[in-house]
Amino acid sequence: MKTSRQDDPTQLISSVFTGRGLLRDSVIYWIVVAGLALLGALIGDNYIRHVFILVFIWCIVIASWDLILGYAGIFNYAQLVFFAVGAYSSAMLSIYAGFTPLLSIACAAIFGGAVGALIAIPSLRLKGEYVALFTFAVHLALPPVIQQGKAIGMGGHTGLLGVPWLNLFGYQVSTIDKLTWFWVSLAFGAVCVYVIYFVVLRGRMGLAFVAMRDAGTFAQSIGVNENKYKFLAFVVSAVFTAIAGGIYAHYTTVVTPKILGTEFFLMAMVMIAVGGMGRFPGAILGVFVVVIGNELLRSFDDYRLLLLGVAVVVLVIFFPNGLAGLTRRRRADGDRA
Amino acid sequence: MTQMIEILLSGITQGAVYCLIAIGLSLVYGASRILNFAHGSLYTLGGYIAWFLVVGYLDLPLWLGILVAIPVLAASGLVIERVIIRPLRSSPNWKVNTIMVTLGLAFIIENGLQLVFGPGTKTIPAFAEGVVTLGGITLSWYKIWIFAISLSLVGALEFFLTHTRYGQAVRAVSQDMQGASQVGINVNQVFALTFALSVVLTGIAGILLAPVFLISPLGGWGPFLKAFVIVVLGGLGSTKGAFVAAFILGVLEAYIIFFLGSNWAMPAWLVMLIVVLMIRPKGLFGVWES
Repeated sequence: MKTSRQDDPTQLISSVFTGRGLLRDSVIYWIVVAGLALLGALIGDNYIRHVFILVFIWCIVIASWDLILGYAGIFNYAQLVFFAVGAYSSAMLSIYAGFTPLLSIACAAIFGGAVGALIAIPSLRLKGEYVALFTFAVHLALPPVIQQGKAIGMGGHTGLLGVPWLNLFGYQVSTIDKLTWFWVSLAFGAVCVYVIYFVVLRGRMGLAFVAMRDAGTFAQSIGVNENKYKFLAFVVSAVFTAIAGGIYAHYTTVVTPKILGTEFFLMAMVMIAVGGMGRFPGAILGVFVVVIGNELLRSFDDYRLLLLGVAVVVLVIFFPNGLAGLTRRRRADGDRA
Repeated sequence: MTQMIEILLSGITQGAVYCLIAIGLSLVYGASRILNFAHGSLYTLGGYIAWFLVVGYLDLPLWLGILVAIPVLAASGLVIERVIIRPLRSSPNWKVNTIMVTLGLAFIIENGLQLVFGPGTKTIPAFAEGVVTLGGITLSWYKIWIFAISLSLVGALEFFLTHTRYGQAVRAVSQDMQGASQVGINVNQVFALTFALSVVLTGIAGILLAPVFLISPLGGWGPFLKAFVIVVLGGLGSTKGAFVAAFILGVLEAYIIFFLGSNWAMPAWLVMLIVVLMIRPKGLFGVWES
């Protein structure tokens, strides 16, 4: 069995990425989502619902990051920049231009894509860790820029307050209405994650990403346009992350430069380190583990960030492939047995 | 006119310290191909160690404080290299893993310092007071001192790299890791040595700049970004490039602060970075890794 798979490379590829098993996996995915939706109704506690809402929003961010970092192998560390762009543009459009939040989130996605394209253009000319440093420099330089943006209504250090509530076709969803928010964020999260992992990454684009990541020169020689796909990786990843930012802005009704602070960045890093890169559903599981773990650690508030930092280092050293690596190792053992 | 010259001189002195930070970053990358994202927090760590020894708890004179800080910094460098970086070398995607780990380390150091010393800023009094006036141009003695110290450290490093056996081993490893290992150079030892050296250099820079920029737990990211822009302009892995680039960018920064205000310093560094990457992504003296 194993040898026959190795002899025929096309089969190996199709079994992992394209059509085969797509229907079955999709059904499983949506059953899990439906289960979560039901769970939201069963949970009575608003605090637990709040934690899950954060999980769903983070899922979009981490899935997008996984797309570019794990699948496309581009060392992009400007992910929270896209998130901030989404949050700020959606908040500003709904506050100053009076857009209804759903429309402003859609516009935020466009803005996010544009910023992704802007960051992609210099990055296309760079290699490996140069990309990491450039994108991280953008992340570091953004808070001062937001500070300067006070003149155009970005709120400076205090941020933007009073972002309008989400308006679902006439129904105002207040922040306190956790049950509706649970379903709304689950719906957004589920659709975005599905599109990322099942549509984009199982399609041509995903194949091209993995080919570029694993054998760049070879991929180019068989006609994968490296620049085009790297550019697309940035844009797609930025669009989805900006949507997450927009949802976050309307959920919390406050947008501050804290989004770009240490805590958010560390959280994102731990999530991807726990889950493992480039192996669905690793990163998504990482989000669940980390957001819930982070809430359990609230009582150690002073040490929480330190612990998150330690978690990143320890996890990367001992479990370089995260949770996804564990299952894969077991599967490999099973194959051998 | 004299003002312009004053700004130029102040930019040059600043550039010398930036050079110290950037050369450490470049040295480690050159030898081991590891980009240390914790470089900035190690700069902060240097400042805090000196503050602890000189101001906060032990009232040592500054020169003694620096002498004590150097072995402490070197030891932390050795431990970091041995415990958290070396184990990653064998993993297949070690590049992204080392980025993750050094970023994680940066956050550990930063939050650790914040827990121990609190979030406020600290300062070390300047060890040289007064100014010197020459033909209408004033320059503080302190800046002259840090310029001299930084330059002599860079000179010492250059001498070490070119004239000693260990230095030659470092250069051999930078040029060809495999070849160096085949002729009997202990590659791991070289990695540890360069890492320790780079921590010492950036730590000393942190001490020297403490009276000017103050010390705060999160204060390392600014110098790190600057060092990175310098290293990129000079070419990753090239110490000569870092040296030239540090002065160019130090002077540019001084003029930008003068004309636009200090709030624009960081955005300006980012713009410089983008311009450099667009025009010459491999830097002045850099070569692309194949």
